[in-house]
Amino acid sequence: MILTGHEITSEIAHRRIVIRPFLPENVNPNSYNFRVGNTLRVYRDQVIDPRCRPDTELVTMPDGGYILQAHRLYLASTLEVMGSDYYAPTFAARSSVARLGLFINLSASLGDIGYLGQWTLQLFPATNLRIYPGMEIGQIMWWKPLGEIKLYDGKYQGSSGPCATRIRHDFVAR
Amino acid sequence: MILTGHRIATGVSAGDITIDPFIPEYVEPNSYRVTLGSRLLDCATDMLDARSVPPMAPRVLADVGRVLEPGRFYLGETGEILGSTRFASTLYATRSLASIGMWLHFSAPLGHTGAVIRWTLEIRVAQRIVVYPGMIIGKIAFWHTQGKPVRYRGRYQDSTTVRRSALRDDRLFHRARTR
Repeated sequence: MILTGHEITSEIAHRRIVIRPFLPENVNPNSYNFRVGNTLRVYRDQVIDPRCRPDTELVTMPDGGYILQAHRLYLASTLEVMGSDYYAPTFAARSSVARLGLFINLSASLGDIGYLGQWTLQLFPATNLRIYPGMEIGQIMWWKPLGEIKLYDGKYQGSSGPCATRIRHDFVAR
Repeated sequence: MILTGHRIATGVSAGDITIDPFIPEYVEPNSYRVTLGSRLLDCATDMLDARSVPPMAPRVLADVGRVLEPGRFYLGETGEILGSTRFASTLYATRSLASIGMWLHFSAPLGHTGAVIRWTLEIRVAQRIVVYPGMIIGKIAFWHTQGKPVRYRGRYQDSTTVRRSALRDDRLFHRARTR
């Protein structure tokens, strides 16, 4: 079951969902609108090898906006710290953002119960697009799970800012 | 919980789900088949701005079809009015459509409870593809909700055709313009 906006607000009050900072006006019928922070992370490698630490660069978006180049990948992050020990999260672009040709995740919309942190977004524009720090870019949904809960204890726990891939740790573990 | 196809059909009869037109043969085990409507918007520039009106050129999708080009970005519409006053919904491409390299939405699958509209689709293609009005492109699924229901009253309510982004109407940009 997906939570209604009313239930999201109520579960925040009961500390079973965290959205920090929380703006009541950002609550939708089935989701909460989150904002984008002012930093982007871009890969500098010509070829990305998942076994190696990637070379990245942090870019600060000015208040006057920043132009994303078409068909280029940018990592961004939510301004909000979000998570829940009780509900499974998924996130999506706001419709108004997708309608400008912008993906905010690349088929990776599912989060984990127990994750708490800022969320890294994969921005991928279909056309050159100027975006602004602090704009409401996406929405998070919460789903009631079935079964005993074991909390997330993964490599991105507690992230802040746009976090580069840590896929290399998946190789080391073997 | 996701609704079964049988429950979707029951919802259409009972009036808490709208699928118009509704074709019983299009009911799937846990979704309903969605078709492509006849109007497209073609992004008419190589530069958009989140706080400006996006220039989009209207195109009518005739029965002879239209070739979509990779690297371009289009908005399309569903052939149906879709939504529910009781359930939330999500949209997916069919396996068949995805298998020819076409996207239906750009990381935005959610339909809010109360949004009973002709859906706008975000379209791109991995290679040149001909599209036809009425072709089956997607599947809509419906989800039971937990908590007191809230009805969508957003900016795309009452959409009867494809609508370009109205992001510029956000509070943030409104404040910037009036400053």
